[in-house]
Amino acid sequence: MARFIAQRLVAALITIWIATIAVTLLIHLVPGDPVRIMYSGFQTTDAEIEAIRERLGLDQPVVVQYVMYLGRVLQGDLGYSIVGDQPVLDTLLQRFPATLALTVSALIIAVVVGGSLGFFAAYKKGTAWDFGAMTLAIVGVSMPHFWLGLLLLFLFAMTLEWLPVGGSGWQNLILPALTLGLATGAVIARLTRSAMIDIFDQDFVRTAHAKGLPKTLVLYRHALRSGLVPVVSMLGLQFAYLMGGAIVIENVFAWNGVGRLAIQAVFARDYPLIQGFILFFATVVALVSVIIDVAYALLDPRIRYGT
Amino acid sequence: MSAPDATQLEPAAALAPPARKLGALRALLRSPSGAVGLAIVAVLVIAAVFAPLIAPHDPFRMAAGPRLAPPSADHLMGTDQLGRDVFSRIVYGARLTLQIGVIAVGISLTAGLLLGLVAGYAGGWPERILMRLVDVLFSFTEIVIALACLAILGVGLVNAMIAIGIASIPFYARITHSVVLVEKNKPYFEAAIAAGASRLRLIFVHLLPNVIPTLIVVGTLGVSTAVLAAAGLSFLGLGAQPPQPEWGFMLSSSRDLIARAPWMMIFPGLAIAITVLGFNLLGDGVREVLDPRQRAR
Repeated sequence: MARFIAQRLVAALITIWIATIAVTLLIHLVPGDPVRIMYSGFQTTDAEIEAIRERLGLDQPVVVQYVMYLGRVLQGDLGYSIVGDQPVLDTLLQRFPATLALTVSALIIAVVVGGSLGFFAAYKKGTAWDFGAMTLAIVGVSMPHFWLGLLLLFLFAMTLEWLPVGGSGWQNLILPALTLGLATGAVIARLTRSAMIDIFDQDFVRTAHAKGLPKTLVLYRHALRSGLVPVVSMLGLQFAYLMGGAIVIENVFAWNGVGRLAIQAVFARDYPLIQGFILFFATVVALVSVIIDVAYALLDPRIRYGT
Repeated sequence: MSAPDATQLEPAAALAPPARKLGALRALLRSPSGAVGLAIVAVLVIAAVFAPLIAPHDPFRMAAGPRLAPPSADHLMGTDQLGRDVFSRIVYGARLTLQIGVIAVGISLTAGLLLGLVAGYAGGWPERILMRLVDVLFSFTEIVIALACLAILGVGLVNAMIAIGIASIPFYARITHSVVLVEKNKPYFEAAIAAGASRLRLIFVHLLPNVIPTLIVVGTLGVSTAVLAAAGLSFLGLGAQPPQPEWGFMLSSSRDLIARAPWMMIFPGLAIAITVLGFNLLGDGVREVLDPRQRAR
């Protein structure tokens, strides 16, 4: 088990390391002078531009810049944000709890709603219930997340006036979490259904039925447990997609997380913040997938012994 | 697997005689998802091609009607905050949507196909490095890669199409790679090696045609992902710019007017959802035709 965790950690570190290379190269791929583009909205003299270039280390060769950047990152220094007017890491850490609250609650909604819908569809396979559930799922997959968000906003905040339109309290979390959760739930429903259909056909389920166990016991103790294995294995990737989806949804609901910050950074061409965001995003996703993989290996011994 | 599988020895659908292709179209129409998907995509193409004939108003003309007018006989889907006809803008928007689909999928499909073919064929360390890189990019998610591209290129619809195309390369590379791994172990491929086929011949004459059917399915489904992503970027203001009648962008201008003019939010959203659904269903239908084993499920 220790070896398995070590392997996964090394893989995560490689991901983060590649991210540091990618963000260093990013600023060099910008056509034109990144410093001038970055400060185009400010009154700056040529001398000031050169001073900024020197401070950012952009007058050095790429390799030197990379080593300098890596050195600073290892000390927790991601540079200084123009938009936030404070160190990039501080800006990101201030906003991250909001994003984490959104993605975790969305993940719970997605697993509960999507998982039950998929399980139900598989159990009723071939019936009108199955068709209805899967139609719902494919409509959910086809809908733009942000449109679902606007529809929910229109229905619950404007027409029924049950929930506030924008803000940062917990009531404001309901609609964005529901939007992101339902959209992801549609994907999970499709995954769960096909996993469960395979399980229902297997011998151990038939045996459990044949030896006269109550139906609910067979469904929940035998079938659901093994059916969840492939679904749990997809959760790491789903979490990454939730983090990505949060970028758009935060903007729909004016939810002040890192996603909203990232869009402001792209508009403002705030390169230190963009670089910091990408690195931060990659790190969070990599670490969460290690945690999910380890949890998964604990549940299913076949994984940690590599069979 | 004792009996030889006849389909494995047959050339892929791409090399099939015309008669079989017609049969494929008929099979596509016979599957419910294929028929519905094809119909939706056909409507989209017709709207794009004949937009000037279908749209009752100039999509860019302001004050074509009163501002924020609800749907009526003259303005089927109402008007927006500048008095432009929403229906006409949606019809013209079909052109942009098709462009997005073709350009973004074209970029990711071509690059992903080449990467996957090379990695899968070469094996050894080039494969390990390439696929490891693909895994890493995959975990960055498409939207973050697209944002990074837009940070480099600057905002705009064409840049958004390129960004989405680049962002999806890892996905296509991974799928191509997995198909190549399967094809490489089939008897026809071993026979070609034994017959002394050159490296290029092995890749482009033997592997490529067998990868294409899968990629047709994935590419069709990929159009829906690209359309969704582009609408998302335009919604954020990073893609289409005013006055382009792009559906995602139309939604972003509707956000502050939802209570007063819900039609500005409902119709462009429906257009995106139906288009995406169309390509999803068409992709499912094509898969059923190309892979009959799926039909039994």
